[in-house]
Amino acid sequence: MRHPNQATLALHSGGDLGPFARWRTSRHLAQCERCREEVAAFDEVRQSLPGLAEVPDLPWNRLAAEIKANVRLGLAAGECVRSVDPPLRQSGLIHGGRVVVAFACAAVLVVTGMVLERPVPSAAPEEGPLVQNTPYGIEVTAGGETLGLTNNGVQRVTYSLDAQGSMGARYVDPETGYVTVNTVYVQ
Amino acid sequence: MSDVIEPGLELLERQNRFVSEHFRRIFVQIYHLVQNVADAQDLTQEAFIKALQHQEQLKDGQKAAQWLSRIATNTAIDFLRRSSRATFSELEDGFEGDSETPEQILLRSEHREYLEDGLRLLSPRERAALIMRDVEGLPAEEVAQRLNCSKATVRSHIANGRTKFRRYMEKRKR
Repeated sequence: MRHPNQATLALHSGGDLGPFARWRTSRHLAQCERCREEVAAFDEVRQSLPGLAEVPDLPWNRLAAEIKANVRLGLAAGECVRSVDPPLRQSGLIHGGRVVVAFACAAVLVVTGMVLERPVPSAAPEEGPLVQNTPYGIEVTAGGETLGLTNNGVQRVTYSLDAQGSMGARYVDPETGYVTVNTVYVQ
Repeated sequence: MSDVIEPGLELLERQNRFVSEHFRRIFVQIYHLVQNVADAQDLTQEAFIKALQHQEQLKDGQKAAQWLSRIATNTAIDFLRRSSRATFSELEDGFEGDSETPEQILLRSEHREYLEDGLRLLSPRERAALIMRDVEGLPAEEVAQRLNCSKATVRSHIANGRTKFRRYMEKRKR
């Protein structure tokens, strides 16, 4: 009598054979005590494995909050690293185009700055904290006092603002390679 | 220095919603593979970051869950490959069932350790296939989709996994 191999019996145990192989194996098993024992041993394996399905009782809400915060941080860090990475190849045309665009943007900024810096009738000073980026980092000014969060002397820093008044600074420390993400929320 | 506009609140909300909708399922899926809470948490985060960084690859929004499951499985398998053996700890503290006696808890813990020792003998893909099929009860077709391989390959992984596990159980009985 030709017996099915171990793999066939292992698959038969879990109902993972195709219709024909299943029929052939079932026919063999009906008359082979030894192979039935083999299948029973595989059944025992399959029955013991669901013991691994248990999941500890976890604080799911806290876990969700942590995961969300870390995912957000991870995405921000990823963007930061990408923005620091120099492009591998650059064509002269694209490079030249970028220089032109950069000059144009700088010119627009200078003109806008000049317009905005013109003396204007003094308005009543706005109350509330002011958050701004400086060459050293993020500064928060309130009630005549200033608090600064420095960037440890790193020059290439990406600043971000959101509509709710928070300011973020992201940078990669050139010496250690560590990514730092600072976010200041102003209320 | 360069100034950029932060992704809008709408985008952040969408990302948060995406994580909220899927995180528990993905965590459990990864936990079944690595059998460790701390690693499962790290890998869940990693899977979501990968997914959100490459969301343009998702053409059909209806298949987001399936796509994310595949990313999670690959992330866990990569982790299992990197770490020659996973560490199993901190499992005993938080299980449900306060009504259990200390003896029952001990027995269950021993049984779990016994199963985990057996899992370590399997290759990462055999382990993943066996867990998805025999622990999570997924059909072979879905296991194949998650592992991104053919059904025949999945069957081979399942057969190898059951055979190795059976040998392990027999050896431990002796």
